[in-house]
Amino acid sequence: MEALLANYVEKSLKQYMRRNAIFLCERLYAEFPSEVNLQLLARCYLNNNQPHSAYHVLKGMQMAQSRYLFAVACLEMDLFSEAETALLPIEELCAHVTNGAAVQYLLGIIHRDTNRMKSSVEHFRKALSIDPLFWAAYEELCILGEAEEAAVCFGDVAIHYVQEHYLGNASSYLQIANSDQSLDSSQAFGLEDLSLSHLQQMEGNNIRNICLNNHGGPNLTGPVGQITNSCCNSSFFRTPSPVLTQLSDMAPPPLIRNIRFCQNEVSLRSSTQARREFVRENESAQIRGSLFFDSGRRRSARLAAAQRSFNSTQGSENKANNLRASIKLNSGTCYSTVCKGQFQNLEEVGKLLETYDDAVSAFRATSSSLSSSADVKSVQDETVNTQLRSFISNSSKIKSGISDTINLLRILGEGYRHLCEYRCQEALNVYQKLSSKQYNTGWVLSQVGKAYFELVDYLNADYAFSLARQISPYNLEGMDVYSTVLYLMKEDMKLKYLAQELISIDRFAPQAWCAIGNCYSFQKDHETALKSFQRAVQLNSRFPYAHTLSGHENVIIEDYGNAVECYQKALHVDARHYKSWYGLGMIYLRQEKIEFAEHHFRQAYRINPFSSVIMYYLGTTLEALKRSEEALVMMEKAIVTDNKNPLPKYSKANMLVTLGRLNEALEILEELKECYPRESSIYALMGEIYKQHKKYDKSMLHFGIALDLKPSIVDVAKIQAAIGKLILPDEIEDNL
Amino acid sequence: MATESSESEEEGKITGGNQHLIVEDDLREMGKKAAWSVSSCKTGNGVSSLRDDNLETYWQSDGAQPHLVNIQFQKKVKLQVVVLYVDFKLDESYTPSKISIRAGDGFHNLKEIKTVELVKPTGWVYLSLSGNDPRETFVNTFMLQIAVLSNHLNGRDTHVRQIKVYGPRPNPIPHQPFQFTSREFITYSTVR
Repeated sequence: MEALLANYVEKSLKQYMRRNAIFLCERLYAEFPSEVNLQLLARCYLNNNQPHSAYHVLKGMQMAQSRYLFAVACLEMDLFSEAETALLPIEELCAHVTNGAAVQYLLGIIHRDTNRMKSSVEHFRKALSIDPLFWAAYEELCILGEAEEAAVCFGDVAIHYVQEHYLGNASSYLQIANSDQSLDSSQAFGLEDLSLSHLQQMEGNNIRNICLNNHGGPNLTGPVGQITNSCCNSSFFRTPSPVLTQLSDMAPPPLIRNIRFCQNEVSLRSSTQARREFVRENESAQIRGSLFFDSGRRRSARLAAAQRSFNSTQGSENKANNLRASIKLNSGTCYSTVCKGQFQNLEEVGKLLETYDDAVSAFRATSSSLSSSADVKSVQDETVNTQLRSFISNSSKIKSGISDTINLLRILGEGYRHLCEYRCQEALNVYQKLSSKQYNTGWVLSQVGKAYFELVDYLNADYAFSLARQISPYNLEGMDVYSTVLYLMKEDMKLKYLAQELISIDRFAPQAWCAIGNCYSFQKDHETALKSFQRAVQLNSRFPYAHTLSGHENVIIEDYGNAVECYQKALHVDARHYKSWYGLGMIYLRQEKIEFAEHHFRQAYRINPFSSVIMYYLGTTLEALKRSEEALVMMEKAIVTDNKNPLPKYSKANMLVTLGRLNEALEILEELKECYPRESSIYALMGEIYKQHKKYDKSMLHFGIALDLKPSIVDVAKIQAAIGKLILPDEIEDNL
Repeated sequence: MATESSESEEEGKITGGNQHLIVEDDLREMGKKAAWSVSSCKTGNGVSSLRDDNLETYWQSDGAQPHLVNIQFQKKVKLQVVVLYVDFKLDESYTPSKISIRAGDGFHNLKEIKTVELVKPTGWVYLSLSGNDPRETFVNTFMLQIAVLSNHLNGRDTHVRQIKVYGPRPNPIPHQPFQFTSREFITYSTVR
């Protein structure tokens, strides 16, 4: 009954029949209170968004898997210290435990959220070293600014590591196969005893498996499927990547393909009667095995043809049968322990392959004992050959699959790292290397959009983001940046439309509320904008951009106290959010606390040394501190970084005027005038310069143009005052 | 002639008033950063009613004329226009008639900068502080005092429902000589 219920619970979980699963699991636990069943119950709760229930259920449990699930529940409830104490004891087993990388990743998250950045980085790095396909860990490292080059993390070393794990046992199998091919059938008889011991060994293996990692069970559905997939010539390792991206989602293994599901169903159901079926299956497998494991020399054409066709078309089926047999064994024994939504780790698959190998070798050994005629032997030989060949070709396929995956991750990782360090042009170049299939996905396109945004190229950013929205309209990540782009482009209609869409997709996404806030801010309704941003903060207080935008709004309504608080909150969440540093710098600049301003702008510059706007402000601050040479150098850098940014040039001209180098200033301003003929401040400054040169008519002309271009009231007053002073010397001259 | 704006003494009559408060975008309200006080008030109709954005509540004075509203800033600010909400239909003899605006560094050196006579005003009344000279668009001062010298129908005390003081927006980009007007300049001027 226990196995039946457990099996059914698993099935319900897979089908997302959560209430069903919870109810049955509670009955199961009441009937057979074991820790393993408790873990299953916790999984049901976590699946149903009830982390508190899972927390209470698992409190105090000591098994590694229980601790892991407990930690997950704690994290959902933001109980960092408890999660940490739960995870620390199993940390030592990390290398052996299936989701060891996940444990390290969770520890990394805990440390980061409790402000222990260095140890957090260490944990993420460990996670990556245990499992090079752990993208989330690399992503976190990039955000913290501590990622190594993607070529290192996702490099050849990683490829070999992964390949070894997957294929490690295959080589030993091949050796056995090679050596045994020359074996006599007589020897095979002797192997009969061996076979029994093999089987026992296998059992022993399984038991060992349980002790080391109580994470067998339904996850096997994944690997089973994967292995059958590999036999089916499909790219084996396409499947791990989508699983990986769902790491944070606590759903059970999502890789349910229809065919495999049925197969797994069958296997699971049968696994309920473990012991008895084991023997029965063994026999049936033996018989099946005997069909093609009979060793022998040259075979008759008929048998050969039969076998060949059998192998080529149904080779997968055979292997699947074998696998199923062995995995039934595995699942039967490892079944009761469940792993919570973690992707299959290499060790797990490796072990499965191990058991597969053992099973195959056992069957071969046993069936070789049943061999009769030389014909059959030859058939067996042939089939062993083809088995080997297909195995070898499979392993090469596996190898290429692994290297493909890791190459893909390398490109993505490199692009992401560049973007996190604001080397936007390089990031764009890297992303260009992706295949068009991968490039035209929501994630990549919004990364591209962000890169263009940081380069102040809003047109291209708009294009990239709108493409992303067309391709995956449900993906809200990065849409907050898109709303800012539209805000800065003053695209009122598009911005409103975007906000409406985002809210209708997900009312609880902070990005949607950021977009709404931007809408209101554009309409100058700053109070409501602030409220919207605060709502985004409430939805996810670890979303730094919401805090930053709140800060910006507070600055606009001149509530500097709150603005400083908001910016500091943003920095608390993510110290590399350079916009908050910039915001704080601007506040201090306005309040004339220039040294503070300089410190903050410098921090922003340190994080993003490629932003001409930050350089411009840093230069302005330095000028205010009377450090003119440094200021000029910084302005030069800004001009070089982004030639399209007119502000550093203007500022440089201004500085030159102060330094008395009027002609150089005039040159710059003439250039600027060509590009931006409607900018009143250029003419105003030129008017000032001509006045100093005593070219009063030119000065008058420029002041006049400046006034025509409708500057602000303050400037009107200034310019008119300047004109007034111009007239004065004229009058004096006239009078003379 | 370069004259200090605080010297001009012009008399003008203002009738009527605006229903809606419409102010240029260039201007922003400066009253939030000031300390407001009045020469006298009736209990329940104090100075807070002048600043509560509620046209139902009003300040009622309770002493001898002239009734004074003092607005003191922490540093010198540029002010351009003062807006009052007064309504003859509601307040009749309490409606102010003659108003004088003075500016200075403190109580000791206030100088009158504007005098205005209101004739049956009904709504928002704009009192510009600018002089004729374009250089005198703003009044740069520490303190502003609005004095109600007399009321309609020779009433003793006065009702004022709301007062707002406006000055120019500062340059969003500090430490620049002139503000930017063109779109490209403004695009590059902020990080959001």
